[in-house]
Amino acid sequence: MTGLMSHRTVHPRTSSLLATGLATAVALALAGCGEPQSAQQNDPDKPIVIGTSLPLTGDFSQPGTQARRGYEIWVEHVNANGGLLDRQIELKVTDDASNQDTVVADYTRLITQDKVDLLLGTFSSLLNYPASAVAEKNRMLYVEPAGGATRMFERGFHYLIYAQPATAPKQADVMVEWIKSLPADQRPKTAAYPTQDDPFAKPVIDTMRAGLEALGVRTVYSTVYPPDTTNFQTIASAIAARKPDLVAQGAVFEDGVGLIRSLQQLNYSPKILFQTSAPSNANQYSDAVGVANTEGVFYTVSWNEKAKTPLNQEFVAAYAKKYNGETPAEDAADAFAAGQVLQAAVEAVGRIDQKALADWLHANPVQTILGELTWDATGAPQSYFLLAQWQGGQVEIVAPKERATTTTVINPKPGWQ
Amino acid sequence: MRRRALVAAPLVALAAYPAIRPYDTYQHTVMLLALLLAIQAVSWNIISGYAGYVSLGHSVFLGLGAYTAGILGVHTGLNPFLAAPLGGLVALVLAVAVGVVVLRTRGHAFVIITIALLLATQIMAINWAWLTNGSDGITLSLPPWSRDIANLPFYYFFFVLLLLTLAASAAVRRSKFGTGLVAIREDEDKAAAIGVNTTRFKTAAFGLSAFFIGVAGAGYAYFLTFLNPVGAFSILGSVTIVLAALVGGRGTLWGPVIGAFIVQFASEAATVYGGGSSSRVLLFGVALALVVLFLPAGLLPTVQAWWLRRHPVAVEYTDHAGALGAGPVVVTDRRPPPAAAPRQALLEVRGVSKRFGGLTAVDSADLTVLAGTVTALIGPNGSGKTTLFNLVTGAMRADAGQVWYDGRRIDKLPPWRRGHLGIGRTFQVTRLFRGMTVLENVVAPLPDGRWRTMLAGAVNGHEADRARDLLGLVGLNRFADQPAGSLSYGQQKLVELAQVLMLEPRLILLDEPAGGVNPSLVDKLCGLVRELNAQGVTFLVVEHNIPMVLGLCDPVVVFSRGTAIAQGAPAVIRNDPAVLDAYLGDDWRPPGASSGVSPGAASAGGGAATAVGTC
Amino acid sequence: MTELVQALALGVLIGGVYALLASGLTLIFGVLHVVNVAHGAFLVLCAMFTWWLWRETGVDPVLASVVTTPLMFGFGLVVYRLLIVRVAGAAPAMSVLLTFGLALTIEGVLNVTAGNKFRSATPGYFSESFRIGGISLPKPQVYGFLAAVAVLGLLYYVLTRTWTGRAIRATAQNPTGAALVGVGATATAGLAFAIGTATTGVGGSIMSVLYPFFPASHYDWISRLLGIIVLGGMGSLPGALVGALVLGLGETLTATYGSLRWSTLVFYVVILAVLLVRKQGLFGTRLREDVAL
Repeated sequence: MTGLMSHRTVHPRTSSLLATGLATAVALALAGCGEPQSAQQNDPDKPIVIGTSLPLTGDFSQPGTQARRGYEIWVEHVNANGGLLDRQIELKVTDDASNQDTVVADYTRLITQDKVDLLLGTFSSLLNYPASAVAEKNRMLYVEPAGGATRMFERGFHYLIYAQPATAPKQADVMVEWIKSLPADQRPKTAAYPTQDDPFAKPVIDTMRAGLEALGVRTVYSTVYPPDTTNFQTIASAIAARKPDLVAQGAVFEDGVGLIRSLQQLNYSPKILFQTSAPSNANQYSDAVGVANTEGVFYTVSWNEKAKTPLNQEFVAAYAKKYNGETPAEDAADAFAAGQVLQAAVEAVGRIDQKALADWLHANPVQTILGELTWDATGAPQSYFLLAQWQGGQVEIVAPKERATTTTVINPKPGWQ
Repeated sequence: MRRRALVAAPLVALAAYPAIRPYDTYQHTVMLLALLLAIQAVSWNIISGYAGYVSLGHSVFLGLGAYTAGILGVHTGLNPFLAAPLGGLVALVLAVAVGVVVLRTRGHAFVIITIALLLATQIMAINWAWLTNGSDGITLSLPPWSRDIANLPFYYFFFVLLLLTLAASAAVRRSKFGTGLVAIREDEDKAAAIGVNTTRFKTAAFGLSAFFIGVAGAGYAYFLTFLNPVGAFSILGSVTIVLAALVGGRGTLWGPVIGAFIVQFASEAATVYGGGSSSRVLLFGVALALVVLFLPAGLLPTVQAWWLRRHPVAVEYTDHAGALGAGPVVVTDRRPPPAAAPRQALLEVRGVSKRFGGLTAVDSADLTVLAGTVTALIGPNGSGKTTLFNLVTGAMRADAGQVWYDGRRIDKLPPWRRGHLGIGRTFQVTRLFRGMTVLENVVAPLPDGRWRTMLAGAVNGHEADRARDLLGLVGLNRFADQPAGSLSYGQQKLVELAQVLMLEPRLILLDEPAGGVNPSLVDKLCGLVRELNAQGVTFLVVEHNIPMVLGLCDPVVVFSRGTAIAQGAPAVIRNDPAVLDAYLGDDWRPPGASSGVSPGAASAGGGAATAVGTC
Repeated sequence: MTELVQALALGVLIGGVYALLASGLTLIFGVLHVVNVAHGAFLVLCAMFTWWLWRETGVDPVLASVVTTPLMFGFGLVVYRLLIVRVAGAAPAMSVLLTFGLALTIEGVLNVTAGNKFRSATPGYFSESFRIGGISLPKPQVYGFLAAVAVLGLLYYVLTRTWTGRAIRATAQNPTGAALVGVGATATAGLAFAIGTATTGVGGSIMSVLYPFFPASHYDWISRLLGIIVLGGMGSLPGALVGALVLGLGETLTATYGSLRWSTLVFYVVILAVLLVRKQGLFGTRLREDVAL
């Protein structure tokens, strides 16, 4: 079994025969085309293939599935309206299972093996970090619907474009502004900041905390929990024991729901509750926590279904038609917007030239369902977010004034039902 | 020559592939990932295949190497390829530091500990954000080379690294380091008894198994350009390594490489054709279970066994290799052992006790063995003789008392140290290492604790020649290449004796050498003992074959109920009433007059009368 | 002060459930000397089934254990006969690898059939609590604790008062001796494995209400359970109980006064420390030195 090579005449022969056979089989099986990487020829009969990888399963499956819906609706809309550069477009989606190694392999395959014409980004900063690096290595334009973490834009990438109004740290500004606008006796005195260890959620809460502390709001509790946390009882106990006026949670989805449930169990309802991301999931969110319990929850959002931005009504209608009358989640809207950005660039430049597309986007604004988007040299967007609040089972925009859909603001939040 | 060509062919093919098809980036990617897995599997094999300590947390070293390169890259801008040796060093240092503590456990405990270590490291990587940037991860700068070159540098980096790893693994296996590791796997206590410093061997193997993975980790980080704790320290990565090595053949040199390629290709096929990475977990689970159940030896050994059945190799009975391969004979006078004045005490056991729960096996025993004698230790079954041997050789620790050897106290020393000092021991039931050949078994013992001896060649060179000589001494030269398990019981006893002789012992403890052995072989054994004794080796022999004892040994010590009850010349012992009581019970009366008991009656229940061999 | 009492209360409640989950694992090790790494996956499997049952029929998840326990018992028997019995005599690492493979297979099957999404059974009381003094005791936790205690009591009764139980304990302590007095080794081992797996029936059903779970959750659970049985002494039931309470409290207190990020580390540190310093844990038995464990 483990004989030394010089005495066992048989072993090395069979082992290397096996290895030779394997190598030959490999060489034959992997015979593929041998041309160097070149841009696809613009054949008018063939569809333009757009490749993307999304977390359809795993930790980010909720936003990932929404993003897919957004992309698909955009593709259907473009194809129904003459296509892109007079060609139909085809979307190629793979599942990266919320796993970073997989997303790298997926984009590498899409680019080098499937040789897609264009790319669309994935969901979550954690996945977009490595995926955008693959795109940048291959000099392909990378428009991402999510991935606003600060460090995304510190790498000197030229082909990265973030299709949302602002990056993560800027998201909290609008909430801090609103608190600032309150008369001093109505402001919260104390605050708690539980956040998931997520490169997007955490910076939002960090900047909010800094902003509120500057306003004199005392921090009584602050913690960071791992992404796969499902047990929120200890955090909820700690919060309930300290009775803060404001709770601001950096959530993705499941954890946002989990904390609310735990707070319900302990019967503690803060006067102001702010969560990132989770409340933007429309029906999924209200089903999970109960419609009555959504009342008064604040969050910042890049999009609102009532906005009068270009194509927004069509988007909402198409989504409702396709998905049982549901309201789109913010992630679906962001994905649709990413598609719009890509489309605008291609139509403006007139051909699929990755560098030209990237250059054009850096220099020009694009009108999307999120409003007007512009970018700086690093691909970071320069606009601002909206402050939204659940009211009566619906989402209303309460700030800034020019985008508000209502003047009512619920403060304080009612207790749990 | 032909064999060399066959081994080289697939390697040349791998080296040439990117040159032949330079634009198949996707295929290169799959291949380089297979090469990376092969590096990890071959490394894992060193500790878990050769030494048998199965680690389920080995991907921790990949993560360590990756993070070393990442952190250095962020703070100093050092290119990860240049940082790679440092990655290996970090992995090596941590493996040795951890191994020294963790390798004390065996069996279930070790496997569980390796899993716990991996996951604990993951948590620390997440929480020590000041060092690792926590969950945000570390981004490395993109490689500076042109897009046309794509992944070729990574391909060759891993390819060269694989060659180095294979060379290291082969060198280990070919040396006494390797035979020592296999000995540890087969029978760790026996390995310790023949002078293998098990702690040092295991730790060195663990460290070596970490080094190359650490180096590869740096390359891996550069390839991904992004690191995060969950991806870098994933349990699935460890499982993949184990699966690759198991599929190919754990314990062999090439098995892990073959297994790695199979597993990587299958995994890629599952992702591409099987509906995504969800099915990859299912594939791994099923493959792992099936391999453990139906193909535990792995593909390579199974194919080899099949091949051997179809093309049986005739057993050679002449020791060609030995005769032709032995270098020019160098005559060195065997230095006689340092002159101990005859009749000086070589071994002294003073008041030693050993208890197992409520049972006292050895009870304040005193025993002295004079240098140059063949001392017998006899007594009824259960009187504590084997336990006493264990206490002298270090297989067990005494609860009380002291053991002195050659004027120094040895009862706190580990078994291998006692072996190096010159104490050898054979076992009641032979304990040869069945996974190795007879020659390898005899080469395995280490007469001293020097690193040079440990790294000496096991097949060629001085040590192997010595082993062949010893095999010749016991007359078993022609079986040098046979698997040790295929020898007869008596032949195994002789091989065990040859093993002991490799230690250049001054004191040999023989535990029932004549047990279960036919009379002519008993004669041979006695002849060997006399010959060695004439050269100055002292013997302590436990035996039930009283005629043999009385003919061979002087003095005779009688043990009963954990302590010595009589000592003296054979003739004296034969008539000692206390001895007769102990052996035969206090209600036994000698037949007839009290002029002496017939030899047959004096033998303890069992080996009686005329059929027994005498010396 | 209230916070401390609240943390202690939560720790005890969760410790009780951990004790039930760990008891099956330690029983299996004690009798078969097999570390069933798939125990966590059995839990998740059962939780998934319970969730599905609750969603289709509205049956209360904790009460559903009446159904899931015998099902898991049968499942355990099947797994034993098909898989475990084949590696019973092999090196310990082999049984770890086999059960690991089984765990991955179960995770893979759940991924493919049910999808990699978080699930949680949410019967009416899941967000309610009992209030005693200033302490809130969440109802799912309390019901889970009560069910766990009941089943542990039943397990204790079976093991000490019935012939089968004594046969199991005899086989655990001395297989040869047990065989010599007429206890069928294979049958008893199979029974022990099945009983150990049956505890995951109750455990999984309880779990489906307590925490959201998804197919890969089994890693978290097996880490915790291994920590518990290592601390208590592998093979010892009282040890599992004590270990579970200690670690349940430890985890909760670390999370309350430290941070959640460090609380999982507690289990790994315990595993490492115990296996290195005192291998038999608190209540385990020590074997003769010359026999490798």
